[in-house]
Amino acid sequence: MSQSLRPYLTAVRYSLEAALTLSNFSSQEVERHNRPEVEVPNTSAELLLQPMHISRNENEQVLIEPSVNSVRMSLMVKQADEIEQILVHKFTRFLEQRAEAFYILRRVPIPGYSISFLITNKHTESMKTGKLVDFIIEFMEDVDKEISEIKLFLNARARFVAEAYLDEFVY
Amino acid sequence: MLHLQPQNLLIQKTLNEAIEALRKGSPLTMDRIVSDFDYTTYHISNTAEDKSILLLSVKTKAWVSVSECQLDGSLTLLKFLADHYSSLGGVTIPSEVEPGYDYTLQITLAELVQESILQLSVLKTIILSFPFELAISKFIELSQQQPAPVEAEITGGEVAANGDNTLFTIKYRDEENIFIKPSNDRVTIIFETIFQDETDKIFGKVFLQEFVDARKRNRQIQSAPQVLYSHEPPLELKRLYQPPKVAEQSRRFITFVLFPRHFQTKELQFHSICQLTLFRNYFHYHIKCSKAYMHSRMRFRVDSFIKVLNRAKVDEDDENDELSAEGRQQARRTFTGRKIVY
Repeated sequence: MSQSLRPYLTAVRYSLEAALTLSNFSSQEVERHNRPEVEVPNTSAELLLQPMHISRNENEQVLIEPSVNSVRMSLMVKQADEIEQILVHKFTRFLEQRAEAFYILRRVPIPGYSISFLITNKHTESMKTGKLVDFIIEFMEDVDKEISEIKLFLNARARFVAEAYLDEFVY
Repeated sequence: MLHLQPQNLLIQKTLNEAIEALRKGSPLTMDRIVSDFDYTTYHISNTAEDKSILLLSVKTKAWVSVSECQLDGSLTLLKFLADHYSSLGGVTIPSEVEPGYDYTLQITLAELVQESILQLSVLKTIILSFPFELAISKFIELSQQQPAPVEAEITGGEVAANGDNTLFTIKYRDEENIFIKPSNDRVTIIFETIFQDETDKIFGKVFLQEFVDARKRNRQIQSAPQVLYSHEPPLELKRLYQPPKVAEQSRRFITFVLFPRHFQTKELQFHSICQLTLFRNYFHYHIKCSKAYMHSRMRFRVDSFIKVLNRAKVDEDDENDELSAEGRQQARRTFTGRKIVY
């Protein structure tokens, strides 16, 4: 792991741990509604907490928006060139289409980010908070790794295919 | 499967089936449509009265442009095909072409040999190889003349006096063409290609770049044809062809430079031509393959992420022990018996 990745992930980990102190909170505006306050247009400022913005560089950033009963965490994945752009787009879309298996994944990322998670008090009640944070950190590590591996694979395959084709002309 | 084969397996299989059935004394009634790359369809059918005679018809997008190719009027496509196929056992050329198709061959099953089956299954390649053959004979003619100054030609200067203006075009797809340009020391083959899909365009760029670099990198394939890749028509083509304005952004030109060593003997020549006619298919096929691989890899990765996430879940048993008090509280009801919703 590179030198700057470790502190970045540690910062995300502690910020998330701090943000994940959620409690059950019924809506103040609509009776018998219980909704993630970070997702709804909100008139009561006390329900939303200060958003946290952690950035490693302009391409890799995390935005954590906590509220009284939910946390929204958005992740910007590194996209160095157009191939990585396509790969990140494909990969996040692939995950989002399977969002119901992921419980905490938001189907649509918030604008400007590659992928978003929404953790509500329901999730922290049915899952261990520490493990949830572990999952997100592992996810952040693996996505970068996966994208660069696929990119390497694509180049390797292209090279192999080209050489195999041209090899046919050699006698 | 790394390489695409020029022969059409379905034709081979159909013909072998037909022969087998005829031998057993119960000839098959045939009416099959077999497809091939680049909008090519074959139709294999019986003549109504005699089931031991098959008709093999082919329809291909390239037909019109290929049949327009000629050198000095002596050799036409029909004559070329007739020369090629009439010598094979069991194959004759009927006087009429099946309506709706471009070319028809008549097959007498009883006399058909394996070599003919092979040749019939590469019919599409044979049709496409006609302009290549013409280009090579033009090359031989040019190379025997006094070599023209190469520089003038490349810089797009005056057309050389020896009528070095020959360009064979194969319009084998809607928007994509193959150009073949013979000159006195080489034959240049230029593929014009368009990527429909944004993703294909970018993957295609990676692949094409590797085609260009492969020869420089790997010493073993130094003698392979040189490959060049550009957004604009190469200079050989510039004064002879104006690409249409549509889809200019995604239009690419891939140039293969063949030297005499690539078509020294008939076999080599045919082999090279097969490879070249399959270039686009090969290249797109491998783009699709990499996409499929990526897809399965992502699927696997999603599963492994779900596993990690499930580790976070509180087990059912734990829940009962730890949260039993809380659990009871959760089940509080109003006096009407409805669950209290928090």
